[in-house]
Amino acid sequence: MQRTRYTTAILIVIGFLLALTGACKQNKESGNSKANADPLALPAYPNVEARTVDVGELDFKIGLMTGTVSQGEDEFRAAENLIKRYGPDRIIHKTYPDNFMAESETTRSLLVEMSNDPDVKAIIIAQAVPGALSAIKKIRDRGREDILFILIAPQEDPEQIAKYADLALQTDDLMRGITIIEAAKQMGATSFVHYTFPRHMSLEILARRREIFRAACKKYGLKFIDANAPDPMGDQGIAGSQKFILEDVPRMISTHGKNTCFFSTNCSMMEPLIRAALDGEAIFAEQCCPSPTHGYPGALGVRISKEDAGNMTRIRKQLGVKIAERGMTGRFGTWAVSMHMVMIEAAVELAKGKVHNKLSLTDLSMVKGFLEKAGGIKVRLGPFNKHANFLMVIAESSPL
Amino acid sequence: MNRVKSFLRNNLVPLIFFGISGILMVLADLKVRNVSADVMERVFRNLFLVLSLIIPIVAGLGLNFGIVLGAMAGQIGLMIVQDGQTGSMIFESEAVARVANLVVAVICSIPIAMLLGYLTGLLFNRTRGREMITGIILGFFANGIYQFLFLVLAGTVLMPFSDTKNVVLPQGIGIRVTINLTSVEKALDEFPLGERADGRPRTASIPLNFEVEEADPNKPGETRVRKVHYGLIPIATILVNVLLCIGLWWFFRTRLGQHLRAVGQDAHVAEIAGIAVNRCRIIAIILSMVLAGIGQIIFLQNMRVMNTFQQHEQVGFYAIAALLVGGATTRRATIGNAIAGTFLFHLLIVAVALAAPILLHNAQVGEYLREFTVYAIIGFTLAIHAWKARSKSISTPD
Repeated sequence: MQRTRYTTAILIVIGFLLALTGACKQNKESGNSKANADPLALPAYPNVEARTVDVGELDFKIGLMTGTVSQGEDEFRAAENLIKRYGPDRIIHKTYPDNFMAESETTRSLLVEMSNDPDVKAIIIAQAVPGALSAIKKIRDRGREDILFILIAPQEDPEQIAKYADLALQTDDLMRGITIIEAAKQMGATSFVHYTFPRHMSLEILARRREIFRAACKKYGLKFIDANAPDPMGDQGIAGSQKFILEDVPRMISTHGKNTCFFSTNCSMMEPLIRAALDGEAIFAEQCCPSPTHGYPGALGVRISKEDAGNMTRIRKQLGVKIAERGMTGRFGTWAVSMHMVMIEAAVELAKGKVHNKLSLTDLSMVKGFLEKAGGIKVRLGPFNKHANFLMVIAESSPL
Repeated sequence: MNRVKSFLRNNLVPLIFFGISGILMVLADLKVRNVSADVMERVFRNLFLVLSLIIPIVAGLGLNFGIVLGAMAGQIGLMIVQDGQTGSMIFESEAVARVANLVVAVICSIPIAMLLGYLTGLLFNRTRGREMITGIILGFFANGIYQFLFLVLAGTVLMPFSDTKNVVLPQGIGIRVTINLTSVEKALDEFPLGERADGRPRTASIPLNFEVEEADPNKPGETRVRKVHYGLIPIATILVNVLLCIGLWWFFRTRLGQHLRAVGQDAHVAEIAGIAVNRCRIIAIILSMVLAGIGQIIFLQNMRVMNTFQQHEQVGFYAIAALLVGGATTRRATIGNAIAGTFLFHLLIVAVALAAPILLHNAQVGEYLREFTVYAIIGFTLAIHAWKARSKSISTPD
């Protein structure tokens, strides 16, 4: 009996090791085949002119789903602004559960409930968390083909999103693989630390971007450090992964020097990452979701007054003062606006235009025009994997 | 008077749940048909998973948090089917092929669930008395292995997944984070029964269409009648659940079922009576895992989209919460507890989720209110159950 047990145990271990070697070998092969295709060879943005048209008044209802402020403040503030502008009877605002990964059933219920109102002609989901795709299928099944779905920062698989959404907008995370390294280089970085975890690496875009980062680092002469952090949705939770960041960043700085630029793929790690980078006098080029309000106010201890909530210029100025106090001006950066906020505002205009038959949602110049109008900035954009309804958007980065 | 009192006491929990849900619905002016359509869908999608928890409780293993592993087995079955599209090769009709795919997914998941169940059972026999916490930790451990298998090995020679359009990432290795389950979606909910005279498919489901009378926004002062399709009553899914209930009822009357009961009541006495206690416990876990795997497949054919790396994580927690709300304890659970619990739990979640933002005029505060109300009420229910159990044991000292 004892013997069989040992034999089983040994067999299991051997099987596992075999599997591991198989995986390593296979990965190496795929790595080689990928090396032939240059990860930096990204499709160039089509050259389009920004255009807008008069889209008329909002005479129907728009369902808008965002996170609560605990998930990311920008989208929620954008919703508040819209409600102020159009009134709560025009903008039906709902929030997805904080624990959205586990409660996709609730997200689905809330979206399906929006479609019960016949006057809802468009639904904007920012960010489009798991459950969104399932809800769209259900709503279409119920005979509401007329509802427009505009998804911002979709988290489900892009190929599937492109199949079901009328328009999906996302910051161009692939292109940022190059622009972030360029920004870091300008700030004087010599090495680049990339924190992530397996679950995020199962997301096609994030996994591809890591390879782009790696190649861009090589091109610009930076050392690329592929670092692993605990998954905030895993057993240790958000607190565990934040604690890890606070402990690991000083270690990284002592090994790789102060001219190390830090980056993480996860939103909840931003605040500790910025704080630890600032304390260690390192470099921080951009957050995972570039916006002045993402991580910076908490990390720098900036209190945003009620009048300033949502006013990006004033918030940037306050952050700049704090960074200057520490003598770190020019080593910390972000975008001029919150892209998600701009996208939500633009999505409402685009929905109006589409419902009134004034424009097509796949018209690049229109989307560009309304994004630039909503944000007061210059953007570049292009389709993802040739899907005309899945657009990747990028804006300029600037130091605080 | 006494009868009213005893009725109140015996049905306190359902009454509280109904009361709170009802009050919320009236205050927020929710439509009964909207809420009931949603609750119905949720109940039929979740009931199988909740029922899968009963056998281990009867066998004295407590609440099986390990059903996360069973759910993983179900998802693996679905991945295999979505990748291979076995049914679509044999059957021409899309609807029939989906049912065949569903059956293949179940068949694929069963051996995996049995293996996982066997290993879990071995572990639970070593950690007797601490099965629940072991199950939770085991879920985390298995999640790590699952991620390793499907991020690193899937697509290699060992696990030849090949459909890079829907299942595997474009580089050929690793499963996509979302799988669109086109090959099994609605296979059970819209079980095909041939064709109608006009060529439309006949399905084993009853559509819920209501005629809604409401104010016409284009013509003030007038009303219009609108036909709204709220969903389907999935007869086949209901039948499967009923079959499982009958199966469980029958199982506990077989010799093996009686043995499990005996083990659950007192393992020591059962051992002396000549029952192989450890073997019984392993069988209980295996059965629970297999049922959980099938339950997850039923859940996902209704959701129609699978989040490969998260969908299973909270399965145990929600199924267990629903069962506890229905009046089950870690030592005693019935089919009635499972059905009542699933219904009440989801009724409350739906009612609070829809009502809270309307009542507070603020989506965000509504979300916080939703979270604490739901869990406060569940906690409160558990306290009531404990109190009832104690008052019962005081009044009848047997």
